[in-house]
Amino acid sequence: MDARIPLRVDLDRPTPPSRQLVEQVLDAVASGAAAAGDRLPSVRDAAAAALVNPNTVARAWRDLETLGVVEGRAGTGVFVTAKGPDVARRERRRETLGALRRALAEALRAGHAGADVLEEAHHAVARAVERAGEAAPARAAEGKGGRR
Amino acid sequence: MNPTATVEVERLAYAWGRRRVLDGVTFSLAPGTTTVLLGENGAGKTTLLRLLAGLLRPAGGTVRVLGLDPVHARDRVNQRLGLVPDAPDAWGWMRPRDLHRFLAAHHPRWDDARAEALLARLRVPSDRSFRQMSRGEATKAMLAATLGHDPEVLLLDEPFGGLDPLAHDDVLGAVVDALATAPRTVLVATHDLDVATRLGDRVLVLADGRVLRDLAMDEASSPGSAGSRREALRSTFAAAVRPG
Repeated sequence: MDARIPLRVDLDRPTPPSRQLVEQVLDAVASGAAAAGDRLPSVRDAAAAALVNPNTVARAWRDLETLGVVEGRAGTGVFVTAKGPDVARRERRRETLGALRRALAEALRAGHAGADVLEEAHHAVARAVERAGEAAPARAAEGKGGRR
Repeated sequence: MNPTATVEVERLAYAWGRRRVLDGVTFSLAPGTTTVLLGENGAGKTTLLRLLAGLLRPAGGTVRVLGLDPVHARDRVNQRLGLVPDAPDAWGWMRPRDLHRFLAAHHPRWDDARAEALLARLRVPSDRSFRQMSRGEATKAMLAATLGHDPEVLLLDEPFGGLDPLAHDDVLGAVVDALATAPRTVLVATHDLDVATRLGDRVLVLADGRVLRDLAMDEASSPGSAGSRREALRSTFAAAVRPG
């Protein structure tokens, strides 16, 4: 199946465009929106969707292949590997944990009390779990319940 | 000289009258890459593109395009090179289809269907004369005509200036697609840092008659690590043209 991954490049972010595309594919694979065996968009289609140089897309697809999330099959395209979902979740956990630690350190430096930061984090997690609970039945109905 | 480079420029010099616009420009473009040329107004970007296309004769130094001297081998170079000028250089009475007929006679690889399809995609009426076109329409018509002969080397001189936001994305989309359909070596002179970030594999900054920066786009960075990609490129440009 062709993976439907919304690809865009946000120039307001500090992350280089090819890395942004890598993150978007990792997100899609980690969340189950793109499953093992799904095909990524062609370089041409992805470049047209994200309005970036095709070389940038090709670099992103190569980086994903190096990570083991996708594999190119001669003449047919680039597909999510069997271990892709596990690798993508691990990659995203590692990156997002780093970002979370940096955000927490910045909040503490800015003068927030530790207790307030903890409480804020607690609420944020509760809200996210609640939202995931609302979204889960919809995902199951689409036949994409493979989120563990 | 680097035999694998598609464009090779060494110690290139050019003067308009007594003003030395370019004075020791050296760089090369690797095949299949897109390079953005940044420079303040009057830095010599247009002059440099015209030298690469063989429209001007260097006052010093060397230019090689596809291994050829673009002045002496202008016909051979022009069959494989396309320049979209900053102001359309078609006659005012010409309609795109007149221009296409003219180009078809000079380019063995001319493909009328491709040029017409691009005009349609860019929403330019093919029966309107250049005199009757807006600046944006004329730029789009010149781009369609240039891509009609499928150039291996593409030189774009500020193709995004003065375009409304929709026309801007139409042109960007057409350039992105042209890059995806065949390996092309591209040099884009622009002030548009969004376009530069989206299209560039590399960045050259032209100032004081020379190339003061030559780096991979991802190497562009701002002093603070939190800056946007746009800000990173702006900082790199500013540091080159206005140091200290």
